[in-house]
Amino acid sequence: MCALPETLPQTPPKGQGLWLRILSVFLLCTWLLPQEVSAEDPVFEAEARRVLKTWCWHCHGEDAEFQGGLDARFARQLLKGGDSGPAIVPHDPAASLLIQRITSGEMPPSEKKVPPQDLQVLQQWIAAGAQMRTTEPEQAAPGLLLSDEDRSHWAFQPIVRPPVPFAGQPGAEANPVDAFLLQRLQQHGLQFAAEADRETLLRRLWLDLTGLPPSTAAIDQFIADQSPEAWNTAMEQLLAHPAYGERWARHWLDVAGYADSDGYTEKDPERPWAWKYRDYVIRSLNADKPWNQFLVEQLAGDELLTPPFENLTPEQADALTATGFLRMAPDGTADGSVDQPTARNDVVAETLKTVSTALLGLSVGCAQCHDHRYDPISQVDYYRLRAIFEPAWNIGEWRAPGGRIVSMWSAQTRAAAAAVDQELAETAKKRTEELDGIVQETFERELQKLPTERQALARAARDAPKDKRTEEQQQLIREFPFLNVDRGSVYLYLPDRLTGFNKKWDDLTAEVRKKRPADDYVMCLTELPGRIPATHLYSRGDHQQPRQQVVPGGLSVLEQAEAVIPEDDPALPTSGRRLAWARSLTSGRHPLVARVLMNRFWMLHFGQGLVATAGEFGVKGELPSHPELLDWLAIEFMESGWSLKHMHRLILSSRAWRQSSVRRPEHDAVDPDNRLLGRMNLRRLEAETIRDCILAVSGQLNGKMGGPPAPVSPDDVGQYVIAIDTRDSAGRPTGKVEALNGEDLRRSIYVQVRRSMPLGVLEPFDLPRMTPNCERRAVSTTSSQALLMLNNPFVLQQAGKLAERLRSGSQEQREQIETAWRLVFGRRPTPEDVAGAVEFLAAGVTAAGGTADGAGDGKPAANAGAAVDPLQLWCHALLCSSGFLYAE
Amino acid sequence: MSHYTRRHLLAQQAFGLGGLAAAWVRGQSAAAEPPKPALEPVVFDLQPKAPAAPPRATAMISMFMQGGPSHIDLFDPKPELNRLHMQTWTGSIKYDNAGEASSKLFGCPWRFRKHGQCGMDLSELAAPLGEVADEICLIRSMHTGVNNHGESINALNTGRQLGGRPALGSWLTYGLGSQNSRLPGFLVLTDPGGLPVLGVENWQNGWLPSVYQGTVVRPQEPRILNLDPPAVLKGAAQEQLLGYVRRLNSRLLEQHPGEHDLSARMQSYELAAGMQTAAREALDITQETQATQQRYGLDRDETRDYGTRCLIARRLIERGVRFVQLHTGNQTWDHHGGIVKGLPAVCRRTIPPAAALVRDLQERGLLATTVVHWGGEMGRLPVIQNEKNIGRDHNTYGFTQWMAGGGFRGGCIYGATDEIGHKAVENIVNHYDYHATLLHLFGLSPEQQTFRRANGTGSLLDGQPGTVVQGII
Repeated sequence: MCALPETLPQTPPKGQGLWLRILSVFLLCTWLLPQEVSAEDPVFEAEARRVLKTWCWHCHGEDAEFQGGLDARFARQLLKGGDSGPAIVPHDPAASLLIQRITSGEMPPSEKKVPPQDLQVLQQWIAAGAQMRTTEPEQAAPGLLLSDEDRSHWAFQPIVRPPVPFAGQPGAEANPVDAFLLQRLQQHGLQFAAEADRETLLRRLWLDLTGLPPSTAAIDQFIADQSPEAWNTAMEQLLAHPAYGERWARHWLDVAGYADSDGYTEKDPERPWAWKYRDYVIRSLNADKPWNQFLVEQLAGDELLTPPFENLTPEQADALTATGFLRMAPDGTADGSVDQPTARNDVVAETLKTVSTALLGLSVGCAQCHDHRYDPISQVDYYRLRAIFEPAWNIGEWRAPGGRIVSMWSAQTRAAAAAVDQELAETAKKRTEELDGIVQETFERELQKLPTERQALARAARDAPKDKRTEEQQQLIREFPFLNVDRGSVYLYLPDRLTGFNKKWDDLTAEVRKKRPADDYVMCLTELPGRIPATHLYSRGDHQQPRQQVVPGGLSVLEQAEAVIPEDDPALPTSGRRLAWARSLTSGRHPLVARVLMNRFWMLHFGQGLVATAGEFGVKGELPSHPELLDWLAIEFMESGWSLKHMHRLILSSRAWRQSSVRRPEHDAVDPDNRLLGRMNLRRLEAETIRDCILAVSGQLNGKMGGPPAPVSPDDVGQYVIAIDTRDSAGRPTGKVEALNGEDLRRSIYVQVRRSMPLGVLEPFDLPRMTPNCERRAVSTTSSQALLMLNNPFVLQQAGKLAERLRSGSQEQREQIETAWRLVFGRRPTPEDVAGAVEFLAAGVTAAGGTADGAGDGKPAANAGAAVDPLQLWCHALLCSSGFLYAE
Repeated sequence: MSHYTRRHLLAQQAFGLGGLAAAWVRGQSAAAEPPKPALEPVVFDLQPKAPAAPPRATAMISMFMQGGPSHIDLFDPKPELNRLHMQTWTGSIKYDNAGEASSKLFGCPWRFRKHGQCGMDLSELAAPLGEVADEICLIRSMHTGVNNHGESINALNTGRQLGGRPALGSWLTYGLGSQNSRLPGFLVLTDPGGLPVLGVENWQNGWLPSVYQGTVVRPQEPRILNLDPPAVLKGAAQEQLLGYVRRLNSRLLEQHPGEHDLSARMQSYELAAGMQTAAREALDITQETQATQQRYGLDRDETRDYGTRCLIARRLIERGVRFVQLHTGNQTWDHHGGIVKGLPAVCRRTIPPAAALVRDLQERGLLATTVVHWGGEMGRLPVIQNEKNIGRDHNTYGFTQWMAGGGFRGGCIYGATDEIGHKAVENIVNHYDYHATLLHLFGLSPEQQTFRRANGTGSLLDGQPGTVVQGII
């Protein structure tokens, strides 16, 4: 504690920026209470400060000049007032200028007005004497000021390992996760639910870890295994299953905002190499790469290497590929028609949005234009953070997406390609020469249509540049417009000859091109060594209004946790800014990163985060339901070597996770939203999981891993399907279908994410739009989902495949029913289930206008348009049912 | 109070993290405060939404004549052109096809006659429209200025020449939602002869949420994919399937009492079944009287197809669909050659049903609030293309389209082209003026009807200087 100085320095020492000035104010003053404040009376810090920050500070505090001379950031400054005199009169709200200006509608000057509740807060505070709890500085430079309240927000506090409840007591929970949860349940007079039955648990486990349903063999194995190790065995099998990486990569790709196209413009160009980053994520998760390394690679993998990036080892290539994380934002800068400065700025801003919501759980984007309205993040903070990325995202020396890929070719391959390129250029030259000959020939022929005496003039007109033609020449061309033959229009004169010409040269070119080695690039974020731009704060976020220069740094409110960022690390060829920041994030001392990650992992296991707003840990986010548990998990995660699989084991073996999902009235009465986790949550499967499960159940799933995505294209009515685009140059369907060779049957993570073409069978089930990323998926229940399941050709087709699969397994109806039940629901049917199925299959089904082909003889209908195959129809019904669409 | 807020409250109550009253106050103030981070995913829907201003129009039928109908042979009489028939034109002409370009003028081979009380000049090919001339607003000065089919379609149908933007119907359903929750808000009736130029892009939602994409009513079964069951599932088969799904789902719900998601899931199937019925019913033209069917030309081979689609369009609008677009087939009106025989044939197929549609809407009291649009992406040049098989080349510098209903002025002839019908010279209506006028009639403001995108705010006009054309409303 230090005493309040009599006066504050009016001007800072030379060389100190605004920010240092603000900090110096903090250091010089005390914020502790000097005066008696009654416990009931409202104080400035409680509510009034928040209201003023929201509504007034922008002009009266944060801008470079105090409007009207009024600084509304402190009670004592309000008392002192501005040009119009004191803003408040203690004990007399009606006489206070502050209240008068608000009630008259004069302030704030924007369209939005202070709501009555907020006005009331101010009135009550003034009426109670306008008291404050802390001593305020006499004056402070404009800008955002951090108060103790700001710093004391729960998420900014250091993470310490809390004691595990009941530890050491007899009968205490073996799993700390359960101990924390149980303690809170017991406080509310509640208990965990009973464990779910084994079949339910196994299906839940498979869906959670792999996004696929358990195979019948896996069910048999698990049910037969009566040892106490059965659960661990099943869990370990799945954690080692390659499908695990595919499933959990999908979650991280949501956070990263993964897409296979650039977005931003209508053209939405493809990103041909994005999939390398997707595969890197899958690989890393399968290998249980420690998350501190995983994050450092994604934020600064390039800074771990030395340019030029040649002859890289697989690990080095991975580090470079990892920076694809920072390349996922929409990027329209390859398009000549967009406003470049705006588009570039948007790429950087969107990247910051992704990074901050993914790792900090804060929407720092709000501070791009002004100090954050709710969170203690100043505009300067925002640009300091931005400065970390600007040596790579250098607005002044921009590289469009095409210039941000790095070839993985060896020197030898490079030389081979250069030789082919030379040959291609020669071929193109010869082609043009021949074409020019045809154009000239055509012109001569067209010329014959003119009277002989005008031909010389026509020739002269054609030879003259367009803007140099005489009036007479122009007139002639107007009269005989067909003389305008050129390379582009000659096909209109000689369509047949040009078709032959084009085919000949296209074939020749293709022949040469075949010799070229296949391209191999990664899309990554890199710096050009030595090119470090100065970062400026943009007034109101407008890149055309740069203001003071800022140095790279983390958020001020986290100053204890975030390392000093070098402007240019002399030990590295690059600036070292991202690397330094990434290391401070993963140092084990950062209050947000591990909490945010762990909360998200928890959410993915339970359907709801301990902090329900997974991307928002700021003041506007929800408070954690179990703060101690969250901290315990975060510490455990870091101390386990940032091992996600370790956390999976811990969570999946807990009683909490293995509970039944059936609601109980006594629990619902106290905790209807199940924040206390006195049962498991029943969860609808995500869009990709539904499609993947359909394919797995029908036996059609193509397990091919990695590589370029399966292409997406509109079908003949505009629905987006997996297909190779065969539309003609005018966008019309040609009816041509190119073989997909099983690409259409791959897992959904391998289906192209074209921002402008969301896949029709995924989209209705809340497929996220990456704007720029997705923190948490919505779960809706809509009739378009029902219509998709009922009528979509994909679902119909796969129901048919399932029926085929059942028939090929057995001709016995009962066995078919049992197999189907186990495939679709992961359990054996009850006698009642069997009876219902038998009844369904026995009823003759006739499509409109068709005839029944006899009741359930087990054979597919000969005429698909007329009679329905009952087994297919039954399979279809199973896929539509909630038992398939939900995990219990 | 939103679901989120309620949940938020209950959670707070349960944990004693704050009194109910305080939480309520915070929740209330949140609604009026400056923009805050979106804590819940935003949901876009088709719920009906009130426009900013009182609307004149609430629905629209657009009959898009892809290829470019020859305005000088249908709607825009040019005596001077007829006088100069087969003579060389020495003024400038903007050609698309240089190879077959000529400067020889070609007069209109068809007679024009005045129609209606307004005295609207229509050629004998367009004469069936004479019956509704007093309802029609003929715009003779349309202009997009881009001579390619695709770009000009984009200009008229999505607001700018670029591809990938939201279609007109997407904008209207985004702004106004749909009146019928059991049918899509934006439906497209395609031609049995195939898709127009640009194919499915004609009804894409671009960067608007995909709930605003046009849904195609196909010329064959199943008529609406996902909404209309495929043939094998029609009728009894699907009823049986739905019955069994209901049984399975209610069994699961019994095992999970109080699980609202599961009951909502069951309801979603009931609603879906209802939507199927609604779609079937809306498309079932056998419910129409013989007289109505005859009026639309369903009794004649020539007009049966287009007449059926016009009739379906009326039935959809009657049922609260916001926007219906009828497409003619690929390049139906693109008469680069053979215009003398080709143009009358396509007119005979499409114009009488279009006239019937306007009259029918009027008699049913729907025309006052339904905008009817008839037009292509271009008109045609007054000079000959290809003397061996006479045709006319593209012309986007001056052409005609007509509007009716929804606040457009009936019996109105607006704007004019030059003496030979090449370029619009009087009261030019650009595509963006047309769009500004449309939005105005729907009570929507071009400035406020916007959508936030990665690269800024997008709108139908996108900053083009469109003005509401007072002379046509």
